[in-house]
Amino acid sequence: MWQEVSEVVARSLLVSGTATVLAASWSIPTAMFLAEKESAFRRVLLDVSNTLVGVPTVLIGLILYLLLSRSGPLGFFGLLYTPASIVAGEAILITPLIVSLSASVLREKRAEVWEMALSMGATERQASATMVAESLPRLLTAVLLGFNRAIGELGVALMLGGNIKGFTRVMTTAIALEVSRGEFELALTLGGVLLVVVFGITAIVRKVGKAG
Amino acid sequence: MIELKRVSFAYPRSCEDAIKNASLVFGPGVTAVIGPNGSGKTTLLKLAALLYRPRAGEVLIDGVSFWSMPDAAKVAFRRKVVYVHEKPIMLRGSVADNVAYGLRVRNLSSEDVAARVDEALEALGIKSLAREKAQALSIGQQQRVALARALAVRPKSLLLDEPTANLDKSGREEFMELIVGLAERGTCIAVATHDRLLALKLMDRAVIVENGTATLIENPEEASLV
Ligand SMILES: Nc1ncnc2c1ncn2[C@@H]1O[C@H](COP(=O)(O)OP(=O)(O)O)[C@@H](O)[C@H]1O
Ligand SMILES: [Mg+2]
Repeated sequence: MWQEVSEVVARSLLVSGTATVLAASWSIPTAMFLAEKESAFRRVLLDVSNTLVGVPTVLIGLILYLLLSRSGPLGFFGLLYTPASIVAGEAILITPLIVSLSASVLREKRAEVWEMALSMGATERQASATMVAESLPRLLTAVLLGFNRAIGELGVALMLGGNIKGFTRVMTTAIALEVSRGEFELALTLGGVLLVVVFGITAIVRKVGKAG
Repeated sequence: MIELKRVSFAYPRSCEDAIKNASLVFGPGVTAVIGPNGSGKTTLLKLAALLYRPRAGEVLIDGVSFWSMPDAAKVAFRRKVVYVHEKPIMLRGSVADNVAYGLRVRNLSSEDVAARVDEALEALGIKSLAREKAQALSIGQQQRVALARALAVRPKSLLLDEPTANLDKSGREEFMELIVGLAERGTCIAVATHDRLLALKLMDRAVIVENGTATLIENPEEASLV
């Protein structure tokens, strides 16, 4: 059993970690753009992002399933039921969360730090870099919360990954399966590990949040 | 030297101008910007600091209209002016890091940075705080750090927003000495303040701000305004 547990845990961390890195790579630049200045377009985009933060994971799963399935518009990539499709789905799932949290951090810092930086002689690029550096602890917090949502979600992993043993089975899909089979020991073990991971991340978030 | 020519400014989504048709020069020596809360002192200083773009009118720096310059030319002119916020804005990191900020963005060599940071800390009497975390200091100490950071870049114009609000009596006196010294060496200084005594002691001229209207008074004693 322990071999299976450790394999599933490792895959979960890898898949959700990759999804988080991917999501952060486009979410933080987007948040920087949204926080840069006030405009109707940016406000609408931010409202949309805020609305999508709580979007049900099964909905993302369904939409991506339709896109990626053999007959769907992106079917020719053959991504459905691969770890890559879970990565893509989770990255999309947590994008609004990271964008919204980061944008609010950056907007808060913007007014004052930006002015100070420019007045001290920074170029706009230097001022942006300073703003991001000043927001870093709380940006990291936003990214870690995204990771927590990714590793704990079931809808995307199940619908896009298909819970294939040794290939796309992750902690949440494994737990769901084991419970449905009445195998509570494995389910509880995995549940415990998931809890430790999520609590661990939350503890880091708290600590980092205080520093920023 | 900074000059405002018929400058008007409104905050976004506000229908009334916060500054109305202001024409003034912030020349050498000390200009005290006096007025009640909410009259527009901060707004006026930020316009002079080239941070706010006027809705109408021009801001001239050394005779050149700042907001009609190409973007690439702006930095060099902005570097002649420093504005210090009323509420000090400290970056993460040490006091020395904060004071070094303006020097680092100017790409000075690390020896020059170290020497100038030292000099500025000395001038403000906060050398002993150099390694402290800036954000953990008291507001009064942070205000000194902000001032040291401003002095380190040796600006031609220095715009200070309520600089003594969080200083005690001896801090105020030291501050006044510092300002007088800078003014004697040719820095153009503007100080927004409630502190009448401070204004009286320091100023060569006054700008009275009332409800967004700014009036320059060249001989405040004769006009018996304070
Ligand atoms: N960020 C802002 N957005 C909208 N209105 C503002 C903002 N800052 C200041 N104001 C308004 O502009 C006027 C002038 O404010 P300010 O320049 O801060 O005055 P002072 O520094 O003399 O207290 C006030 O009526 C104030 O309410
Ligand atoms: Mg003010």
